[in-house]
Amino acid sequence: MTESHSKHILSIMVDNEPGVLARIVGLFSGRGYNIESLSVSEVDSDKFLSRVTIVTSGTKNIVDQIKAQVRKLIPVHNLIDITELKSFLGKELILMKLDIKQKTVLNIYKYIKNIGAKILFEDKTVIIIEFSGTPTEISSLIKKMKVYNIVELTRSGLVSMALGKDYIRR
Amino acid sequence: MMKKLSGARIVIEALIQENVKVIFGYPGGAVLPIYDELFKQNKIRHILVRHEQAAVHAAEGYARSTGKVGVVLVTSGPGATNTVTGLTDAMMDSVPVVCISGQVPTHMIGNDAFQEADIVGITRPCTKHNYLVKEISKLAESIHSAFHIAKNGRPGPVLVDIPKDIQTFETKYGGKKHTKSVTFYKPNTKPSLDTIVKFVSLLEKSKKPIFYVGGGVINSGSRASLYLKKLLKITGYPCTQTLMGLGATPTSDDQFIGMLGMHGTYEANLSMNKSDLMICIGARFDDRITGKVSGFSPKSKKVHLDIDASSFNKSVNVDLLIQGDLSKILEMTLKHIENKRISFSKEKISAWWNQINKWRAKNCLNYKNSRSIIKPQYALQRLDSLTKHLDPFITTEVGQHQMWAAQFLTFNKPKHWMTSGGLGTMGYGLPAAMGVQIAHPNDLVIDVAGEASILMNIQEMSTIKQYRLPVKIFILNNHYMGMVRQWQELLHGNRLSESYMDSLPDFVKLAESFGATGLRVSKPGEMDDLIKEMIKIKGPVICDVVVDPKENCFPMIPSGSTHDQMLLGPNDKLEGEISEEGMVLV
Repeated sequence: MTESHSKHILSIMVDNEPGVLARIVGLFSGRGYNIESLSVSEVDSDKFLSRVTIVTSGTKNIVDQIKAQVRKLIPVHNLIDITELKSFLGKELILMKLDIKQKTVLNIYKYIKNIGAKILFEDKTVIIIEFSGTPTEISSLIKKMKVYNIVELTRSGLVSMALGKDYIRR
Repeated sequence: MMKKLSGARIVIEALIQENVKVIFGYPGGAVLPIYDELFKQNKIRHILVRHEQAAVHAAEGYARSTGKVGVVLVTSGPGATNTVTGLTDAMMDSVPVVCISGQVPTHMIGNDAFQEADIVGITRPCTKHNYLVKEISKLAESIHSAFHIAKNGRPGPVLVDIPKDIQTFETKYGGKKHTKSVTFYKPNTKPSLDTIVKFVSLLEKSKKPIFYVGGGVINSGSRASLYLKKLLKITGYPCTQTLMGLGATPTSDDQFIGMLGMHGTYEANLSMNKSDLMICIGARFDDRITGKVSGFSPKSKKVHLDIDASSFNKSVNVDLLIQGDLSKILEMTLKHIENKRISFSKEKISAWWNQINKWRAKNCLNYKNSRSIIKPQYALQRLDSLTKHLDPFITTEVGQHQMWAAQFLTFNKPKHWMTSGGLGTMGYGLPAAMGVQIAHPNDLVIDVAGEASILMNIQEMSTIKQYRLPVKIFILNNHYMGMVRQWQELLHGNRLSESYMDSLPDFVKLAESFGATGLRVSKPGEMDDLIKEMIKIKGPVICDVVVDPKENCFPMIPSGSTHDQMLLGPNDKLEGEISEEGMVLV
């Protein structure tokens, strides 16, 4: 079978209870599904609800199966496939620590300013910048900065939301 | 004012409120408070098993023969880990079980304490859901939720892990009505009418239809069986059943064309292969059913009725899927047929039935009988003839004997056939038979076994003795792990690596040592007398039926083959080599 693989962003509303992430992640690893990116945090502290965003990929059959399996988990209230909605946006946050002992440092400042990244910290040796953007924008930022000295970086994983009046219900 | 109760007492009270009459268990340090409460009451009967795996299988047997939830109580650590095989079995075969396990006290969790195991972590993938109760306030809610989840939607096992300190803490318990549980878990049980209309129109048009019926019909309850029987009668269409579905409608019915799948009948598998409409009801297109998926029923439109959305399009794509409780779907279907006064002409399908009858005439379950040695098929045919009128409950272990039992026994009522289908657990049948016998103390319960499987939970003879359970164990003793040997003959150049059963016990003496009756037979002429005597004896019996050690189970669809590439007997040779793809399949 040569069915095409496509990327899907799944937004999942779950009870914020111990083990809920293990259930979801265990289901993916146990059944051999991909997780390309994962982000999770509580979004409703009154109802103890967390929102999980998973980027996965597979054929239509596999992705349908993933959705059906996740929906069967008891602490899962709702799942929407954001990629199936008319329009949506997806953003990611990156923190990057750069070595600024080199001479080319001026170029860095210029670039940071151009793309609208923030400087969160700086001293004589390093700066830490913060940038949010689409995964493509973030990847191109990393590529650009590779010529300088990246000390370390961390990415939040994608978070996503439908445009217009579509939204994930409880 | 409501009185405060200990956690252990709440466990017992909650079980009583869930209408639990029997639990299967084994005590240990981390559940002593619950056992203490059990001691002080007389509403719940505790059956002391001899191994925790057997507790789960017994609960499965109880659940599958009654439709109620089976309940298990075990201690922490090894007590809990011993249930894993049973829980996985219940998960695969959709059996409602609630397993309560003790745990080390909350402040010790994560400390590698004595008899500590992260059982909630271990059983996460093999339960429908599980709970670790860390606060006494959540205890009652967790237990009631466990029962709700176990029996609603597609049934399955739920584990509730209760640390020992939680069992001794006290809180108020207002009963089930005043305990909030997982009310949002409400699987879609009602199908939409327009899918029913589409379904009926497909039924009307088909010239080569086949009903493919699974265990979901039995799980849905006796009304589902009744409606399906009616639908079969109205349409006159042929029906095949899966291993799990046997008895969903009577297998003595003329429209029943045998079990399908790897060891299914020629007529059932060819009907699946050549049909133009397949109606799958409560089955899941398991690999034992489909064989090679790419060659599975290539020309049929497929309809799938099921409660579980994750069963749709999992391995085989279908044209129409209807999600819902099967009894509701079938009821709506019958109503629609009645309202629209739709009739099904027998003429339209007469050519199809002619074809099926030609396949039937092959008599694929035929075997060469012998006068000197007992053929296992013969033993089961005689068992069937001499016990059928008693509607016995049959359990099995796993292997050749299981397939022969499925092929040669009659199942005229649902919930009378308990076998490990999905997981294929050797050692399932004996404890399952105990659970069935506890639920039906006056009925005939027979564990059709092999001499290898029976040894996997033979310690349960002690339980059988203690509770005077008149379980009949019918061992087809061929001195081999027969199914393993059959595959070695077929796929591994007849190199019988470790499949010979050496140093077997004397099953007659073994029976006697547990206060049961042991009977042995090795001549075909003595078969009937043995079976009659077995039925007559009031207590437990082990029958050691010494059968032909060389017999193999046919028909067989070798791994990686399609329904029309069936081997009908020992002289039917494989066409060429089994593909590499087929060799790696189980």
